[in-house]
Amino acid sequence: MSKPERTSGFKEPVSISELDPNFRSEVIAHPDAQGLNACFSCGTCSAGCPIHEAFPEYNPKKLAKMVRLGMRKQVLSSPYIWYCATCHNCEQRCPQNVKFFNILNVLKNMAAKEGYAPPAWVEQTKQVMKTGIVFPTEANWVKKREKLSLPSLKEDQKKAKKIIELTGIDKIKPRIDSE
Amino acid sequence: MSKYALFLGCTTPTQVPQYELASRWVCKYFGIELIDIKEFVCCGINQVNLSIEAGLLMATMNLALAEAEELDILTLCAACTGALAEAIEKLKDKATRDKVNEKLREVDLEYKGNVGVRHISRVLYEDIGIEKIKKEVKQDLSGFRVAPHYGCHYLKPKSAFEGFEEPDNPHTLHELISATGAHPIEYETLGFCCGGKVFPVSKDLVHSLMQKKLDDLMNKEVDAMVLQCQTCYLMYGEQQKEINEEYGKQYNLPILLYPQLLGLALGADPTEDLGLPLHAISPDKILTKVT
Repeated sequence: MSKPERTSGFKEPVSISELDPNFRSEVIAHPDAQGLNACFSCGTCSAGCPIHEAFPEYNPKKLAKMVRLGMRKQVLSSPYIWYCATCHNCEQRCPQNVKFFNILNVLKNMAAKEGYAPPAWVEQTKQVMKTGIVFPTEANWVKKREKLSLPSLKEDQKKAKKIIELTGIDKIKPRIDSE
Repeated sequence: MSKYALFLGCTTPTQVPQYELASRWVCKYFGIELIDIKEFVCCGINQVNLSIEAGLLMATMNLALAEAEELDILTLCAACTGALAEAIEKLKDKATRDKVNEKLREVDLEYKGNVGVRHISRVLYEDIGIEKIKKEVKQDLSGFRVAPHYGCHYLKPKSAFEGFEEPDNPHTLHELISATGAHPIEYETLGFCCGGKVFPVSKDLVHSLMQKKLDDLMNKEVDAMVLQCQTCYLMYGEQQKEINEEYGKQYNLPILLYPQLLGLALGADPTEDLGLPLHAISPDKILTKVT
């Protein structure tokens, strides 16, 4: 998924038979996504989104609308939901105080459970279980720190491993269609 | 003398140790004692992608570790600051806290709600103060024009920072830069995100995002960008050359972390104390202006 994918699967008319009427309530059931009902599609989120500016196919307003229409499969399988840079402009500027950033996280969590997680995030989880941080302890990093007389890097982190196991995210598999 | 648990995060200690080096030097200079807690783990911000619950648990685990030492946390990374501060905000709700603690007990930890989190720049701004910093300046940096870059999570979500900053009109880094004698320039793309959090998913997306800010600064008279997060540094500092190769650009903008700029003003050794030679874009051009 290194190159932003510019072919959109959203250009066909929306077929009612393919909509999932429960999707919206399923999303809103999560405490972090409750504000979605307050959205009146003004587009302030998209207007202030740096990713939308660089890559118009990533469109918070459109994603919020798709959730409310019940476009479950299209939303959860979309590579775009992973393109958020987490800058928080959308929620900062929303006149309805909708926290789109949090809604998107709820969508990403649902997508991950259904097998659409980008490999990078799955890999990071594995790494956290080993070192407690999202990177391995590379020899040249260790050496550089020694040279600068900085404290040594920690390794084996049993607590982090246990915490990850308790949440079950160590069982999440990466999406197959990506690199 | 103030004392904090130093929260290094994942990226600074592994890939940008010069930020850690300069931060430790600056804190020592001002008598801010930093305690290293070996059991600190990732702040949880990236685990949120797969599970909001996992992210909150990771964050709370760190909060509980600092709380057990009766220390507030001092962060270097903007994203860690945001993630930990957001967690504190969420954990004010007793039901949420109880639920998290139930899991934390499995690793012998408990979070009670008595810990604060502040970024190093905020600690310098609030604990040391602009006036004190000005008084300590030893090097004349007045000929030095820099572009401030705040880092999204230093400012947002606003609700997590007790009204510390104005996300759409930030000022503290401008003031901290001015305090060193250097001149913070105004520029249109000030608020642009570095894109670092989407880098593991799409490098190209980040490259196109970064070019908007770099193009803006190419047209300005500016000696360096000054930022306060190692992920922003890795993007603007270490991706410029890649962008030059891939997009035929000629960016060559030196990047400094704020404690490095402050260190220069306070008379620190650029190599031994601030690790400047470790930067991907040589800051030599800047150093000739300093000495």
